[in-house]
Amino acid sequence: MAPTELIITLLQVLIFPGIIFLLGLAFVYEWVDRKFYARLQNRYGPLHTGPSGFLQPFADFVKLLAKEDITPQAADKPLFAATPILLLAIPIAALFCIPMTGLTALVSFEGDLIYIIFLSTLISMVTFLAAWSSTNPFSIIGGLRAAFQMLGYEVPMAIVMVCPAIAAGTLNISGIVAKQGTSGLWFILSQPLGFIILLICLLAEIKRVPFDIPEAETEIVAGWLTEFSGRKLALLRLSIDMELVFAAALTTALYLGGPAGLAPIPAIIYFLVKTTIIVLIMSNLRALFARFRIDQMVHGSWKFLTPLAILQVILVELAVG
Amino acid sequence: MSEATFQVPVGPQHPALKEAPENFMFSIDGETVVDVKARIGYNHRGIEKAAESRSYIQNIYLVERVCGICSIAHVATYTPAVEEALNLEIPPRAKYIRTIIYELNRIASHYLWLGLAGHEIGFDTLFMYLWRDREIALNILEQITGNRVTYAAFTIGGVRRDISSEMAEKAKNGLSILEERMKYYKKLCLNEPTVLKRAVGVGILKPQDAITLCAVGPLLRASGVKSDVRADDPYLVYDEVPFYVVTYGGCDVASRVLVRCDETLVSIGIIKHALDRLPESPIRVKAPRIVPPAEVVSRTEAPRGELIYYLRSNGTDKPDRLKIRTPTLANIPSVCKSLIGGYLADIPIVLAAADPCFTCTDRMAFVNVSNGKRWVWTHEQLRRYSMKWHQQN
Amino acid sequence: MAMQRELLRNLRKKPITLRYPFERVAPPEGLRGKHSWNMEKCIGCGICVSVCPSFAIEMIGKGLTAEFKVYLDRCLFCAQCQESCPKEVIKLTTEYELAAYNRDQLILEWKRPTKSESTT
Repeated sequence: MAPTELIITLLQVLIFPGIIFLLGLAFVYEWVDRKFYARLQNRYGPLHTGPSGFLQPFADFVKLLAKEDITPQAADKPLFAATPILLLAIPIAALFCIPMTGLTALVSFEGDLIYIIFLSTLISMVTFLAAWSSTNPFSIIGGLRAAFQMLGYEVPMAIVMVCPAIAAGTLNISGIVAKQGTSGLWFILSQPLGFIILLICLLAEIKRVPFDIPEAETEIVAGWLTEFSGRKLALLRLSIDMELVFAAALTTALYLGGPAGLAPIPAIIYFLVKTTIIVLIMSNLRALFARFRIDQMVHGSWKFLTPLAILQVILVELAVG
Repeated sequence: MSEATFQVPVGPQHPALKEAPENFMFSIDGETVVDVKARIGYNHRGIEKAAESRSYIQNIYLVERVCGICSIAHVATYTPAVEEALNLEIPPRAKYIRTIIYELNRIASHYLWLGLAGHEIGFDTLFMYLWRDREIALNILEQITGNRVTYAAFTIGGVRRDISSEMAEKAKNGLSILEERMKYYKKLCLNEPTVLKRAVGVGILKPQDAITLCAVGPLLRASGVKSDVRADDPYLVYDEVPFYVVTYGGCDVASRVLVRCDETLVSIGIIKHALDRLPESPIRVKAPRIVPPAEVVSRTEAPRGELIYYLRSNGTDKPDRLKIRTPTLANIPSVCKSLIGGYLADIPIVLAAADPCFTCTDRMAFVNVSNGKRWVWTHEQLRRYSMKWHQQN
Repeated sequence: MAMQRELLRNLRKKPITLRYPFERVAPPEGLRGKHSWNMEKCIGCGICVSVCPSFAIEMIGKGLTAEFKVYLDRCLFCAQCQESCPKEVIKLTTEYELAAYNRDQLILEWKRPTKSESTT
């Protein structure tokens, strides 16, 4: 590669639309989520740090960095220290495959949809490892619940993520986005059932209400997060926000056409608008429901989500011919 | 695998126990609760002892602070006990005002409880809305009594402040809003599938068990047993206002939610009826400071159940013995029974459905750690030990 | 799904949170707040001292020359002293913003007014 190309790629990976941009997006979306959630509940949300509380998530992050970082004596120290970093790195790695500024992502190869399914499974497994290495009864219960939950949502999510791939004829996310861009028909219009199922399964994956069972505050203190403090907790909270960005971006790319849109407005704006809409929908769902029990979640997933996902696949196959 | 149960401590610090430190040691197998042991006593404040060195008037304020949420229930049980010992009859207007304040406190308490129950199942929106609406009740109370909690409204011989007609008008407007909102929340709880999934069939307490284990209050009434002190043993003006006992037969958490919703609606009806019919009379009579020797038992229906006070006076201006039996203490065995066999995830909501007010509950027992013996001392033994200790130190 | 309409309706309403201290609500007139004593009427009977549930009033001296210290950090604001005073000296105002940085700032001292010399 020529040196200028190398430098441009490096800048893209590090800054835009790379790591710094994604970190900033994580903070912004946490603010959007908290503000919208608060307004739905007739209160203000973050208010004083920055205009309308915009800098609040960043302030929380910086505050946590300054706090004392305690590791329990019985914990598995290398794993305990490594899991927050891993949990932050995996969604960022997955986000590199999702097109944001144009119809091609930073990393694009045939089969990167399967790569993303693998990374989302990895998130759940590393969550379990994080909980297990904490050796705290509450963490262990939270980790076990995260593993159970994965048993519930994994299958329908994989099925429903593959439906747009079948309709587009390619397992490359950039290809799926390009197909929606050229044909002008977003997959949400032709596969609404798949969109709904994907949204529900992604909510279960990123552990938000009504599926925040591994982290249930009132039942098991903080679930799998209990023993983390200080820098590790800061990274974990950032990783939770990053997973929100990942879920919203994935939904946008697969079903809403990603950054595809009409000409004069830059593609990144379309991408941001669509992703923000998905984040707002997720915040609304967070305010709307109570928390499920783990057995209800797994039962419901196998009784309803999986058959509906299979139905969606059958419909897509019939349509494609 | 069946003997390898997991010990999960809930408390003394736990987000499920928002108000008080208590310890429940759960034995969990997988996600099912196999056994639960309750340990109370983290919050013992010695109120009964403190009551013996204060005069009857000072004790009103001490007793009010036994519990913050149901504070008026304690005062409304203590003052009739003293008035009975003095053989004093309070004027009818005082009785009506006492009933109004008591029922307003019950509304505030049930609203608080419903919000907490929503929070325990992860439904934070319900929590925020309910506590926003509870402010209306607290504002009415602030208008009438001067404070949002710990009202200092009653005194021996009547009440301290009167309700003017503007206060009554404002109260009625606020109550109409509260009634409409409570009807909405009741409809919501019956229609929201996630709430129903968490509440129906959870924390079952059969009527037979409830009676054997001496459950009181909404916990008992949600198992279909019709037992309410206001109906069984009417005090104040409950035999003159439209009041009926609310029972539901579900025996689960959903029934307890519905019992409390309906009780709130009944309370609003009582207050509106009473505000329209306040009799004209003075609001207090003068009470002597010295109380002749007597033994009085007085009980009322606090928001959490039956509250019993035993008062023994000895002819001075300080009580000889004051014993308080709070409803939560009576409910703990029933709560433990209803937790066994359920899921770990149901623990907070079942604990919360009994509306525990652990600050009122604490008792003291002696435990010899080396040989595991436990015993309780009688009043006489405690007094002798304390006198011996004071002589030696 | 049952709450969706309510949620969207709340988006349009102004948030109910009171932005204290930038926005304040006027307290109702019966609020029991900080003490205000009219020492000209006081006869030094000491009833307030004996009636206070938390022993927050201290009387220095006796009779018509008595002076008082009120410990606001012990006070319950129950207004029993206001009610029991035979000469209506004590009044609890509606001032409720009583936070202080150390406890000495919470001791109110009520001395005799120097203009009207009381007889010894």
